Amino acid sequence: MSRPKGPYVMQPPVMSVQIEDSMDVMIVRDTVRQAGSLLGFSPANRAQLASAAATLAELVLKTGDSEALYLNGVMQGSKTGLQVSVDAPWLENVSSTNVLIALRSKLGDLVDEILLEGEKPPTIFMIMWLNDVRSTAETNQVNSDEYPSDQ
Amino acid sequence: MALEALLIEDSKTQAAQIKDTLESMGLRVRVAYDGPDGLREASENPPALIVLDVKLPTMDGFQVCRRLKRNPATQDIPVIMLTEKADPKATMSGLRAGADDYIPKDIFAAEHLINTLQELGIL
Repeated sequence: MSRPKGPYVMQPPVMSVQIEDSMDVMIVRDTVRQAGSLLGFSPANRAQLASAAATLAELVLKTGDSEALYLNGVMQGSKTGLQVSVDAPWLENVSSTNVLIALRSKLGDLVDEILLEGEKPPTIFMIMWLNDVRSTAETNQVNSDEYPSDQ
Repeated sequence: MALEALLIEDSKTQAAQIKDTLESMGLRVRVAYDGPDGLREASENPPALIVLDVKLPTMDGFQVCRRLKRNPATQDIPVIMLTEKADPKATMSGLRAGADDYIPKDIFAAEHLINTLQELGIL
């Protein structure tokens, strides 16, 4: 199993889940919530992170590969965050621009950053920062486009 | 005296299971089986916590949550959505509707519920 990597300074917790079957998606969700709790993320932010990581784990399963999904704390200046990463060998010959558009379209609301780095294999990184001001108004806003209005 | 939770869940089987889980945590539990009943119960006799399903008849859980958070009588009650709809879009819809947590109904659900209730100061 390779070591976790990433663009930011790493700090504990460092956790990993080997993704081999659908049960591992639940374990990913649980482990992400634990890591988020250790770093002080709110329950709502942990739910966002867990949903993003579970979607990434489902993507790994769909490719038929078995990959390790890493969770680790990251720091940038005074900011602390949680990084989720996974190697994606199935994306080696795919346009990184197209991959990022697809990932950000599906998961962009859930995390602060989605990155694709390296080539053999490329690695997908998702990061949520703890210190960012998370607007209550944004979290609580009514999004009538997604589900029927109750008006 | 034990704090009271209001569970809004249309499946009687699942309602009974979740009620047992909440009672094992020391909470008293009232159950409403659809959104309008849940809104009325919450408004008339505000509980300490609302556990809310997403798939409900008449009015889905997102609509119920938005109404709870718009009503001054219920807007400060923590709402935890406990659901089978765990995809990113549904998760964000629940949180944007004002839910304090969004927990998929999987084998870890009870553990996550306990952690969140402890963090909210309910347990």
